[in-house]
This record gives sequence, C-alpha cells and structure tokens, in this order.
Amino acid sequence: MTFITQTSMTIILRVPTLNDSQPDCTRLFSLWQQLQNLESQEVIVDFSDCRFLRQNAVAFLGGLARLIQSRNGKVNFVWNTLQDDIRANLTQNGFIDIFDGTQRKWLGNSVPYREYRYEDMDAIASYLENCWLGRGWVQIDSASSDEIVQNALEVYSNAFEHSASQIGIFTCGQRYPNLGKLHLTVIDFGVGIPPNVRQFLNQPQKLAADALKWAFKLGNTTRANKISGGTGLNTLKQFVKQKSGTIEIYSHDGYALITSGQEIYQRSPAFFQGTLINITVKCDSPAYNSSESTLFY
Amino acid sequence: MRYAIREMIGENCMTQQSGQQIYEMIYPRLQAGQSVELDFAGTKRFLSVFFNFAIGQLLRDIDPETLDRLLAVSNLSPVGQQAYDRVMENAKRYYSLDDERQRAFDAIILEQATLL
Repeated sequence: MTFITQTSMTIILRVPTLNDSQPDCTRLFSLWQQLQNLESQEVIVDFSDCRFLRQNAVAFLGGLARLIQSRNGKVNFVWNTLQDDIRANLTQNGFIDIFDGTQRKWLGNSVPYREYRYEDMDAIASYLENCWLGRGWVQIDSASSDEIVQNALEVYSNAFEHSASQIGIFTCGQRYPNLGKLHLTVIDFGVGIPPNVRQFLNQPQKLAADALKWAFKLGNTTRANKISGGTGLNTLKQFVKQKSGTIEIYSHDGYALITSGQEIYQRSPAFFQGTLINITVKCDSPAYNSSESTLFY
Repeated sequence: MRYAIREMIGENCMTQQSGQQIYEMIYPRLQAGQSVELDFAGTKRFLSVFFNFAIGQLLRDIDPETLDRLLAVSNLSPVGQQAYDRVMENAKRYYSLDDERQRAFDAIILEQATLL
C-alpha cells in the first residue's frame, strides 16, 4: 500500500479510510513506515480518499504529525479535502483546533483528541473522568467511574514510564451510541514493549508476541532498581476480562487481543515501533455498578 | 507520626515521584522502629506505580511483619484499598525472596520467558 507521492521538497500523504480493525491499523502503520526517513520536508496531508476516521486514526495522525515536526519537517493538513462529516468530527474533538487554531472545538458526541508531551496524570485523569466517562452518556456511580478511570490510567502511566517517547502520548476517544460503546486509544511513538522486555531479560531473539504475554503476567516488570512492579497491566487485564471489555495492543511486531473469553498474543501483520492500545467499553447500560459485570464488552 | 497524604501530594496518588516522596519521608522513621500512619483522607485516584514506590519498596529492607506492625494506612477508598492490597501482595512476594531464591526466581522467570 502506497499512500505518499514524493517530490524533492514535499510529500503528499493521502489518508485512506481508517476504521479500527487490524487491516486499518496495518494501513496506519504503513503511513508511519513510509514517512520514516524524512528530514526537514513538508508533508501535505490530503483527505480526499478518506471516508471515515476512527479515534485510533485521529490519535495516530496527530502523533505522526508531531513526529514529522520533531524531525524539522512541516505538516500541512489540507482541511478542504475533508468530507463534511469527518470535518465535523475533527472539529468536535479539537483536532483541527490543535493543528490549525482557527476552528474552535465543540463537543457533540466526541471525546476530545489530546496530546500529552509530559506525564501530567492529573490532567489525564480529568480528561478521562470529564471527557470520556463523565459526559452524562454513561449512567454510572462514582465508585464505578473511579474504578474504570483508574484502570485506564494504568495504560498512560505505563506508557510514560516505559515508552521513552520523545514526543509524548496521543489519545482520542469516541462514543458510538448506536453500538453502545465507548472507545479509547492511547498511542506512543517510543521504543515499544517487546524491545524493553527483550533487553530486560537479555533475550534479543524473544518473539514479540511472547514478550507481550510476559508483560501482562502479574509481577513481571522491566522496572529497574529492584522496585516491585508488574501489577498495572495485569490489573487492567483482569479488570477487562472481568467486565467483558476489550484491550487490543500493537507494539513493534507484536499484537495482543484480550477479551473476557480469550487472550491472543501473536505476530502483528505490520511493524510499528511504538505502541498503540485500543480499549473498548460498553456504555449502554442504564446503570452500572462496580460489583456487576455489565459495563464492558 | 501521621502523614496527611492529600496535604503532601494532592488528591491523586499516581506517580513515581509522589510515591518516592512519601517513601523518603517514612522510611527513616520505620527503620528506626517508629510507627507511621498514612492518612489518605480526601485522596481520589491511585495507581500501582505510586504504591510500589511509596510503600512496596519498603519491603526491600523491612520484613512484612514489622511493616504490618509499624505502618498503618487509613481512609483509603475501596478502589484505593484494592490497588494497595494488590501491590502489597505482589511486593511481599517480590521481596520475600532472599538472594539465593531471588536468583532461582529470576532463573525461573527467564526459563518461563524462553518457553513462551
């Protein structure tokens, strides 16, 4: 799949339609791969071929733009190539405002796009509480909200501690009222989970899928200085399994899918150096109680 | 000695830094055999990294029975208590291994990792 047209000074990046299935993530990573060797060039982002953008694509495109800028490149989003409904979504979630500054966001059904350059867990907690869960579209008591937010926060905490991303973390969510789901994507452009595990275990040949499986096991941590760890990801896994949610992870050449009924660790169909995590939450329950298993798919 | 966590680090207990801050304050007292109470009244969010740095690593130098005797934790919300219990259970296992067993444990981890 080729999504770029290159001249000596500029590259035109044609964004395809991007959902959040595995082939869509493969296309996202293909965009990243094709822009790997750029230095100080202008990238024109054209949406003419795009009919749909899910929250994972929004977060990824934002991160990709910051990655290009961090390499002294220039990113020019051609907003007038956007379909009206995608433009509305990118306006609602603040993406256009962040990169353009001329169109103020309005919330609608969207969960805002956010970039966190540094570990500001208070701000992330507020984002999850007020913009992801706390929009009144999930009937949920305070204790249950705390439990969900706390588990989601483990993903961000883990990324800041282990990813070594030079450009921070990118996140976006979306509510799908007809499906009764809330989605959340967290992306870093750091070193990836498998290399961290391989280095810690001194097993350079370890398969990425096995490294991901190791990382989710209770008590396993790559944290240095003999400080205990290995509870965050495992807690998230247990929580999602208990509540019938879904976690999907792409990291390096590894892929993991965790649901209430299964854990799959395998080779990813496409390489991405950083880590992309999708979390899916059911939100059509009239009332959620933390003691019940009704909130997550 | 009672420490009001909210007054020291705010309502969110979520980072390595804040955990380390608590650890460095209470460790000398506990090492000296003095009682410490951590009062979490008014706190809201808790991540495992905080508890690992604040309290979990105390078990590196202090045995679990002594820590249970000297350290009291109060006013944790149910969600916080859940995170605390999970971290402490894991930390007790992690630090309970003496050097020889630690080496054996590490070898098992390596072996498991190889078999995966």
